[in-house]
Order: sequence, then C-alpha cells, then structure tokens
Amino acid sequence: MSPVNETATEFERNARVVLERSLSRIDARTRSRLNQARQAALEAASRRHPRWLRGTTLMPAGAVAAALLLAVVLWHREPAGVEMPLPEAQGSSMEDIDLLADSEALDLLEGWDGPFYEWAASQTDAIGESNG
Amino acid sequence: MSEFATLASPYSMPAALHGDVDLTDPEGKTRSRALNQFLAGVELKAFKMAQAALRNEDDALDAVQDAMLQLARAYASRPAEEWKPLFYRILENRIRDMQRRRTVRGRVFAWLPFRGEDDQDEPDPISQAPSPELQPVRRLELDEAVGALEKALGALPRRQQQAFLLRTLEGLDVAETAAAMGCSEGSVKTHYFRAVQALRAQLGDLYV
Repeated sequence: MSPVNETATEFERNARVVLERSLSRIDARTRSRLNQARQAALEAASRRHPRWLRGTTLMPAGAVAAALLLAVVLWHREPAGVEMPLPEAQGSSMEDIDLLADSEALDLLEGWDGPFYEWAASQTDAIGESNG
Repeated sequence: MSEFATLASPYSMPAALHGDVDLTDPEGKTRSRALNQFLAGVELKAFKMAQAALRNEDDALDAVQDAMLQLARAYASRPAEEWKPLFYRILENRIRDMQRRRTVRGRVFAWLPFRGEDDQDEPDPISQAPSPELQPVRRLELDEAVGALEKALGALPRRQQQAFLLRTLEGLDVAETAAAMGCSEGSVKTHYFRAVQALRAQLGDLYV
C-alpha cells in the first residue's frame, strides 16, 4: 500500500471516531423524536390490511354492482319469459305488464282515493237522472 | 457522470412491494422486530447525514421520519440486507426534495418586503446536554474535532459529502454506497476520493 493510501486510511479511521463522537452528542430531545418517528413508521406498516383481506376490499362494491346488473337483466328478460296460460289472454297480460311498468300508473294507484271517485260518480249519475 | 444521473436503470429504486408482507402475523412480527432493530441502528447516523445536507435540525428529523415511513410501508418485505441501501436512497431523495422546495421558497420569499426571522427559539440547555461518558479533556478534544469536521463536511459538494458519510460513518461498501446514491461504483470512488482530499486539505490528518 502506498504512503498516500496509508495516510488516507488513518484519516478515515480518525474521521470515523470523530463522526461517532458526533452521534453521541445528539441531544435527548432529538433521540426521543427519532424514536417516536421509528415507532410511527412501524405502526403505519402494521396497520395495513392483511394480504388475504386486501384483495377483498372492493368486494362489497363489486357485489352491489353485480346484483344491480343481474336485476336489470332479469327485469328485461321477464316479459319474454312469462308463460301465458291462454293465447287470447296474451294481449291483455302484456297490457297489464305495461301498466305495472308504467310509473305514472303506479303513482295513480298509490294515490287512489276510492270514496272521492265513488262520490264523483254518484254526482254524475244524479245529474244525469235529473236531466233525463 | 452528471450530478443528478441517479435514475439510470441499474440503480433506480426497486418497485415497492405493497401487500407482500403482513406485519401482524407471526412471521410479520418477526420482520417488524427486525425492522425496528434496523431503524434503531441507522436513525442517528441518518439524522447526522440529513443534518449535514439540510443544516436544519427539524428538516433533518422530517426527512429521516419520511424515509422510515416509506421504507416500512413499501419495502419491509424486501430482504433485510437490502434495507440499508434502500433506506439511504429514500433518505437522499427526500433530502433532495426538501432542498428543491427550500430553493423555491427562498426565491418566493426573496420578493417579499418582510421576511420572518422565525425558528429562533431558545435552545433547551437540558436537552442539548451531551452524554457524559468521556473524560473532560478528551471530550473537549473530540468536540473540537467534531466541530471542525462538521464544518468542513458542510462545505463539501453534496455528492462528495454523501459518499464520505455513507462510507465512513455508515460503513457501506462501494457497491452499497452506489446503490444508496443511485450512481455507479466508479462515481462513488471518485466522489469519495475527492471528499477525502478536500477534507484532508482543510483538516490535516485529523489526529484525535
């Protein structure tokens, strides 16, 4: 080894001693904060979900989407798949389905006020009789 | 080689392996203990390196904390012998980010008429007290040498400073230092040689 390298090695050895001394001068507050940072890092790493769970994190959303898709498909397939008891009744059954599928008709059904319509009909009949 | 030619493929960061380790199962707990031991072993040296680069204690602590978090989150599953170069690579990236941000902030604040003189808190004498384990005279000599070396290190170009600290303080070999610095082994040797030359020129042989 050349004298230059020997000197460099000696220099490095001394530098290492000095640098290690500089580590021992790090104050308690900094050491404490470094310790806290380390604990936080380990905590963050351990908070992650287990591997088997990670693949299923999107499962609820996927299941809901699949269920919705299935419902839509069945809804559209249902009229074609309905077995009609009699050929002549097929037209009226289709009308029933249309009525059921019509949201406005359902709204009317929900808002059905029987006594009012009966009263209105009786009024019409009474007017007709008095005119006749 | 360019000062910032650190992303060449052989030296770029390996892909983070999210999800390959579970630190809550028994094997994971063993790994968690090993990671804790590793981080405890490097945290003071990492702080010194960050402090030498950033010249600010709080920024250095932030950089080390971020590096710890990223290593634990993304690279805990890597073989333990890879942690050290990876950790210092992450730390170096973080230091560089902070230096860039500081440069931008400096440019912005240079335009403002009033620049706040914050961070001038009184140091806590108790927390600043050094650990008392050496004889006073020896401690004084070493402390003087520490001050001189830290000052000389602060004057080095960043890559030389990094190569010197990784090799001398952390004890990484040339290959590990190259992985940590994201450059070739030849570059490490060059940076390190220049660092030693510059420090010797300034400090003599640093007899302690």
